[in-house]
Amino acid sequence: MQTRDTILHQVRLAVTEGNRLQPAPPLPERGRIGYQGAADAVERFCSELTAAGGHPFVTPDRDAAVQRIRDIMQRHQARKIALGCGGVIEDLDVANRLRGDGVDMTPMDALAAPRFREAMFAADIGISNVAYLIAETGSVVMATAPNEPRSLSLLPPVHIALAHVEQILPDLFDLFDLYSPVADLAKPAAPPPSCLTLITGPSKTGDIELKLVTGVHGPGELHVILIGSQ
Amino acid sequence: MNYAQHEHHDFLGASNQALADPPLQAALTRLTDTLMAGNRKGYAALADSSALRDHAKRIKEHTLAHLDRYLEQLEASVQKLGGRVHWAATADDARRIIVTIAQQAGCQNAVKSKSMTSEEIHLNGALEKAGVRVTETDFGEFIIQLAGERPSHLVAPAVHHTRESVARVLSQHLGQPLPDDPKSLALAGRRVLREEFRRADLGISGVNFAVAETGSIVLITNEGNGRLTTTCPRVHVALMGIEKVIPRMRDLPVFLKLLARGATGQTLSVYTTMITGPKRPGEQDGPDEFHLVILDNGRSRVLATPFRESLQCIRCGACLNACPVYRRIGGHAYGGVYSGPIGSILTPLYDSVTLNPHLPHASSLCGACQAACPVKINIPHMLIGLRALQHQHGQGGHGGRHRGRWESWAYRLWSVVLRRPWLYRLALRGARLALRRWDQDGWLTRLPGPGASWTALRDFPAPAALSFRQRWKKDLE
Ligand code: SF4
Repeated sequence: MQTRDTILHQVRLAVTEGNRLQPAPPLPERGRIGYQGAADAVERFCSELTAAGGHPFVTPDRDAAVQRIRDIMQRHQARKIALGCGGVIEDLDVANRLRGDGVDMTPMDALAAPRFREAMFAADIGISNVAYLIAETGSVVMATAPNEPRSLSLLPPVHIALAHVEQILPDLFDLFDLYSPVADLAKPAAPPPSCLTLITGPSKTGDIELKLVTGVHGPGELHVILIGSQ
Repeated sequence: MNYAQHEHHDFLGASNQALADPPLQAALTRLTDTLMAGNRKGYAALADSSALRDHAKRIKEHTLAHLDRYLEQLEASVQKLGGRVHWAATADDARRIIVTIAQQAGCQNAVKSKSMTSEEIHLNGALEKAGVRVTETDFGEFIIQLAGERPSHLVAPAVHHTRESVARVLSQHLGQPLPDDPKSLALAGRRVLREEFRRADLGISGVNFAVAETGSIVLITNEGNGRLTTTCPRVHVALMGIEKVIPRMRDLPVFLKLLARGATGQTLSVYTTMITGPKRPGEQDGPDEFHLVILDNGRSRVLATPFRESLQCIRCGACLNACPVYRRIGGHAYGGVYSGPIGSILTPLYDSVTLNPHLPHASSLCGACQAACPVKINIPHMLIGLRALQHQHGQGGHGGRHRGRWESWAYRLWSVVLRRPWLYRLALRGARLALRRWDQDGWLTRLPGPGASWTALRDFPAPAALSFRQRWKKDLE
């Protein structure tokens, strides 16, 4: 407590002293500066994700979407799948449709703590829903919640994210506006999720001679399957 | 121990060593060329990037001018969500706080995601002494930890290593020979570090930004180690300098848009993670405890001075890549935790102006750093300010005190000459005649007397055949 007060006191003195040298501007409002949103959101999302090394796949056809998942599983000879629940995953009925494929499928809502951890470390592929997508940067936005764990898009070496095209936001600014508390609303704003992650492509490192290596910690492959018009 | 504790080493000697090291020169050129090309491309691809950078700078200016208020707001927001806030006045405080957190929670294995602030407080040694194993998990930092070195770049800490030296270090750690291609090495690193994450009970991270209104902290990585550090262990400690706070959630994307573009040219780094408090009821993973350590360590002192602008730095590394000096001598030559142009300001300010006589002069004041900086920090201006401080301390610059008198006489003479046009013209003509005998294809490569110390390290352009005034007069006719 005492250190806290000493530090804050010192900061207060320094602020006053320093402000004499350089008067402080008010907190600026952004207006439209730097806004990158455009009409072609799906196209922009796909090209940015591709540039970041991810694999977008847009289809209006639910069978094609499930087939795409199957193809990825086969290419990796995946045995263990960690599967999210609700959202697009439920819409597509992924759990039942892939049941006959001879893989071991673990839905997130079926796991208690100790088994959860081992299952996540062992999974070959994680299949998740997303909160949003961002066209400007080609990012997938994951919001942690019960049955939407952080590990699902992190521990398995391959991540497949399922989304509707309506979930695309044009610009980064749009995302953080959504999580901004609105001051003059009668009900208090809900806090942001315990963990909000923007994923932009596969895990990367260039630490050895600047040679790009993917999958050094997070997934080495990121697939985004978008349901909606072509 | 203080902010930029280091060995007060021989800057010129270390620079010469770096210049005489061809693999290091090749690595530096490759890194800084690539990242600078990215920086330019990144800004060019962003609509009104210059206006957005001005905007980011104003947010920082405003925040620093009300820092006490925003820190209190941050504290309250974190506590509301069940996080704990600790205040550290010095590096020593911060080490003690983090060791105590580890001991009280019974933690034995810590994983760390890259944090320059933790380098600044020399955290690893303190934890090891208290019996807590620490593993750096950024791949570059891991190599450096195994090699017992310091990072040499803000975002590419192991730039001074080659594939062969990485293979050597990792093979020795694993007790088995590894091939020296980057992919196998990185994937071997992944396997080792996965096991560390599995067993870790303490995760230590830095903070790129802390949002006062929500109590959220933001971590940015390309590898994903920041996410693992805040997902697997049951306790998370985040360490931040007081300058890392920003007011509102909607100010955050301004910096996100600029940081990666400025650092590498990416539109966004691969993982941007915003943590708001510990794991909540019903969630399957994430830490049970969240601790935020807020560190002063000299920053509030600088806040009161004309060097306040240095606290706007978001540690992107762009000024290093842009700097003609860093590009040749690399990070270790600077001797501090922070290197490059921004390090040349931070080390003298936080360590000692008098004990780091060369750093403010390790710059041609060309301004490339400021042009590359996402928040347009006026680095050249502050370097000049530091030179002025040195002068007040009686240091005449490069040569230290003993050359002070010689220099001051030279300047006095110079001012006498400058104030008399006829004398100036005469002096120039004399110099041109006198210097002609050392002219080699337009360059003076070796001068006698006091000029020798200049030409020992660089060439001096020979005077032109016609002076500017002569050409001006001629062209007017
Ligand atoms: S001074 Fe500017 S360019 Fe240099 S590291 Fe800091 S933010 Fe980046």
